[in-house]
Amino acid sequence: MEYAIELKGITKSFGPVAANKNINLSLAKGEILALLGENGSGKTTLMNMLSGIYMPDSGSIFIDGKKVSINSPEDSGKLGIGMVHQHFKLVERFTALENIRIGMRDEGRFMHGADVRKKIEDTAEKFGFDIDLDKVVSNMAVSEKQTLEILKVLCYGAKIIILDEPTAVLTVQEIDRLFDVLRKMREEGHSIIIITHKLNEVMAISDRVAVLRHGEYIDTVVTKETNEKALTELMVGRKIELNIDRPVMEKTHPLLEIRDLTVKNDEGVIAVDHINFYIRGGEMLGVAGIAGSGQKELCEAIAGLRKIEDGQMIHEGESIVGMSPKKILEHGISMSFIPEDRLGMGLAPSLSITDNMILKNYNESKGIFVDRKTASEEAQKVIDRLEVVTPSTETPVRRLSGGNVQKVLLGREIKSGPNVLITAYPVRGLDINSSYTIYNILNEQKEKGVGILFVGEDLDVMLALCDKIMVICHGKLQGVVNSNHTTKEELGLMMTGTINIVNKDGKTDGIAKDSAFTDEEGNA
Amino acid sequence: MRKYHLVRRADSKIGRTIIFYAVGILVSLLIGAVILMALGINPFDYYGKMFTIGLVGNRYGYKSIEGFLKIFVPLLITSLALGLSFKMRFWNIGGEGEFLIGAITASVIAFNSSGIPNFVTVLLMCLAAMISSGIIGIAIAALKVKFNTNETLMTLMINYIMLYVIRYIGETKADWNFFLREDSERPKFGTFPDSAVMTGIPLGQFKLLWSVIIAIVLTVIVYIYLKYTKQGYEISVVGDSSATAKYAGMSVGKIVLRTMFISSAMIGLAAALTVSASGTISDTVTNNVGWTGIIVAWLSKLSVPAIFVTSILISILQYGCQAAATQYPAIDSNYADLLQGLILFSVLVADFAANFKIVKKEDAKNA
Amino acid sequence: MLEVFTLFLFNIIVYNIPLLYGTTGEIMIEKSGSLNLGVEGTMAIGAVAGYLVGVKADNLFVAVLVSFIASGLVGLLFSFLTVTLQANQNVTGLTITTFGVAFYYFIGNALANSEGGWPRMNGTKLAEQSQALEIPGLSKIPFIGEALFSHGILVYLGVIIAILMWLYFNKTVPGLKLRAIGENPGAADSLGVNVTFYKYAHIIAGSGIMGIGGLYMGLNMGGTFEGSNCWINGYGWISIALVIFANWSPAKALLGTLVFGFFNTLRVQNAALAYAFPNALGWLTKIPSHFFSALPFIITLIVLIASSLSSKKKSGEPQAIGRNYYREDR
Repeated sequence: MEYAIELKGITKSFGPVAANKNINLSLAKGEILALLGENGSGKTTLMNMLSGIYMPDSGSIFIDGKKVSINSPEDSGKLGIGMVHQHFKLVERFTALENIRIGMRDEGRFMHGADVRKKIEDTAEKFGFDIDLDKVVSNMAVSEKQTLEILKVLCYGAKIIILDEPTAVLTVQEIDRLFDVLRKMREEGHSIIIITHKLNEVMAISDRVAVLRHGEYIDTVVTKETNEKALTELMVGRKIELNIDRPVMEKTHPLLEIRDLTVKNDEGVIAVDHINFYIRGGEMLGVAGIAGSGQKELCEAIAGLRKIEDGQMIHEGESIVGMSPKKILEHGISMSFIPEDRLGMGLAPSLSITDNMILKNYNESKGIFVDRKTASEEAQKVIDRLEVVTPSTETPVRRLSGGNVQKVLLGREIKSGPNVLITAYPVRGLDINSSYTIYNILNEQKEKGVGILFVGEDLDVMLALCDKIMVICHGKLQGVVNSNHTTKEELGLMMTGTINIVNKDGKTDGIAKDSAFTDEEGNA
Repeated sequence: MRKYHLVRRADSKIGRTIIFYAVGILVSLLIGAVILMALGINPFDYYGKMFTIGLVGNRYGYKSIEGFLKIFVPLLITSLALGLSFKMRFWNIGGEGEFLIGAITASVIAFNSSGIPNFVTVLLMCLAAMISSGIIGIAIAALKVKFNTNETLMTLMINYIMLYVIRYIGETKADWNFFLREDSERPKFGTFPDSAVMTGIPLGQFKLLWSVIIAIVLTVIVYIYLKYTKQGYEISVVGDSSATAKYAGMSVGKIVLRTMFISSAMIGLAAALTVSASGTISDTVTNNVGWTGIIVAWLSKLSVPAIFVTSILISILQYGCQAAATQYPAIDSNYADLLQGLILFSVLVADFAANFKIVKKEDAKNA
Repeated sequence: MLEVFTLFLFNIIVYNIPLLYGTTGEIMIEKSGSLNLGVEGTMAIGAVAGYLVGVKADNLFVAVLVSFIASGLVGLLFSFLTVTLQANQNVTGLTITTFGVAFYYFIGNALANSEGGWPRMNGTKLAEQSQALEIPGLSKIPFIGEALFSHGILVYLGVIIAILMWLYFNKTVPGLKLRAIGENPGAADSLGVNVTFYKYAHIIAGSGIMGIGGLYMGLNMGGTFEGSNCWINGYGWISIALVIFANWSPAKALLGTLVFGFFNTLRVQNAALAYAFPNALGWLTKIPSHFFSALPFIITLIVLIASSLSSKKKSGEPQAIGRNYYREDR
């Protein structure tokens, strides 16, 4: 078989974290290969090495059987590779035509010389795109932008096309249209890699499926010879027995109840779509979902950082909708979110550990001065208890390693004694030992009667750690399951939107029987 | 192909930074020396004169100190003020304009203060200058917070508008214009009545003006304000990450307004002290502190003690050049500006060298 | 009567063309996403270097070339510090201004105090070459012909540069790539545009253009060194304001130069106008000249605020301006 791309032994690390470990992958000419894997399994990193954004630490890349080295996006383009990024790389104030023109190589130095427009229109027609070349990007809908991105790489003569989660932003009809285009491209002899989480799409469009898990290459299977269940198993792996404690607590009343919560993301698209759930004291509720399913918006909405479109949020019988972040904090809801760059929200990276300790309560001390004495004692306590590795309490947080940064953040959150703790990706990028320290901290909190919302990535961990797990897919609730009565496969299928059990057996998930919500009739 | 790669150093050792900075300053002085030699001047002699600001072998040495302090006080206060807003990542480059506003309002009081006790007048001058400059600061901050108007360009425009306002006052003979001397045919700024002229503590022939003491006290206050108070803490957080500040429940807009008020008001204060100390106003009253202050603040990496030291150095440079000009007529005070520029350029390079290192990229093909 | 108008129009152009150089140069730099506040200093260095070498070589072409190169080197310094070393653009630009203006005075004073004195251009070929060129035919158009078409060659060059730059931005692919960098360097980078190279090239070229504007001011002053007032005399700062007024378009910069030049000339010539038309324009003398001097900055301040109030899409301001680009910063 002749391969368009062959990757051999590709390894890439960011600091201590290995994003790709010894990956082997091949893409045959004229096939559609689906690249499947959970968040953080290293798919995008791998593809960014093909598009010249990252360079591998080791391993080799073969294009059309020839060994190549890709050092820049330009190299990648010259080798006939085109990537459609998940976050579009478009100049908002340019027209479609101008955006395409930037990267066209052989058309002279003048904008519209040598019938550029004709060439683009021909390409568009060939693949059945319907696009207005003179429309300014900022006026385009998401699907138009994506069409433009695909047209762009086709116009540059790419033979190998990589699409990073192209369907995440599209409607069902738009997805169908996209798939038609992809099939047409295949007919024309293009080789395509499509990154996706949705198994039904994988089954519908791909010829073969390559699976990554935790940065490692698992297997490549022929689509016709497999099914969704088998793929899910490959993707999430067999259940690993983790040695994580899960203390069982007596559950109290619902501390935080969320009803019909609807929130938009920064682009104005609905990110959280009528979600219901509740957390009781002494309970840990996991939130599972593919990256970008609305986790961030959910956390921000509860913390008062994001306006909500619709719905209610009740904390201990009092509505927190419309409250300032500060008020919500004072109510005892503490939120910590570890973004992908780990430092973006929640910490001031240039300030010391001490200064970060008091970020949320610096105003509580009397007088005009910041009480650094207490703060530094608290910092020391956190350092001792959570085994933070740092030269001193006065070291800027930026200089700590990732795990220690996260311990500082979590340490601060629990120090204020919240009764609802929302923590998103607290073990992101941590080694095993640090992760266990964090799990222990969370369990201690749970034993104190705190209600915890744990937004996580690793299903094994969530199954071991959380009492219940709610699954969201594209901002919609797919169901809430008890960790003891579910399987990884079931969670995987819910995450990818294959099954939805919210209304199974006549009960509705996410609504507590002893809810503090009492409607006019006094019913829960 | 990019074989080499710049990597930010994981640690920042203060010792290394100081060494790099020192090398940077040395290099710029060396370039300065080459320029001097090209003009046939012995750089050792010249630098010797410059760095001793004409104190050595001078019967009226105290005059040198007084001259030096006249440059130092406004520069120090302005640099501190600008440092305050830069710390919040607010690009207030309107030091010149804010200074002029303060100088004009202070002068309005000064020219009309005959008969009022000196202490009261000077206090009123300071207050009026602080309020008027502060209001402009607030207005700019409000536009920035509310509409995200570009503060760099806004403050830049203010500088020039104010420059023409003071020139107008200084060049227009009219009945209302009490700024000008009445006994002069040509328009000329008058001198303040004694009631508005800064006094001081006499130490022999030397007079230590109150403005010097105020500037030093202010330095300590700003140091404490930034380092120990809640408001100073808020400035650090907003400057470091305004997303984090919002997350922590701070109201970022309010903090920006407040800090810009303080920053501009301090510059107004510097202006009031300056006009009061010199007993008059002119269209060159700022002595470019609005610009130089930016360089000082940046050279000092916005640290208050460093601003104090850098202000001394830059003032020595400037006054030293003036003092040396008596002996070297070919070299005027612009040499100080030239050196200042060279020092900033080389320190920018030094700062980069202290924070980054070049590593060889592992060749993907061989690995 | 009409002579007054002709002279007025003539003066608008002859005294304000340096604004066009400064503005187009700065537009080129800002289009690459960098804000260079060093226009005044860059122009000063180009002026001094171009003039001195030009007088020595006694050739206008050499003078122009040298001023372009000298200011281009300043641009190289700015690019090195801000693009490669990622230094703050505001501070670097302002320091270039301090440095450049000091350079002007320093060199000027040193030469003026030297034996030979400051080199004059009277009677040199350089002076001759900077004389007005009457364009045959066009300069004979009544009223406006003499005002518009009998200028030194550098006036025409400035206009040509503005037109060429407009064409470059709007009709060529490198111009398109440049604008893409100013808008979204990440997108341009992903399409294989060499961001670093483009930034360097355009910052250097833009600075060089400013330098020619500086040279023009020196020549226009008759080459006399001014020890108390720099040749550039704030035109660099007005240029920065004019960039905003012209909404980052070289074509509108032409228009903006005329508008700002109009006020500038009104300041100088208000007495002449009032004398010529005592009834209609007599009130002009009542307006202080300082008001006209400040007007460019007042107008720009208003434009700045007004444009931030309205929707941002219409503004030509590059969206990534002032921020340094770092590929791995993602």
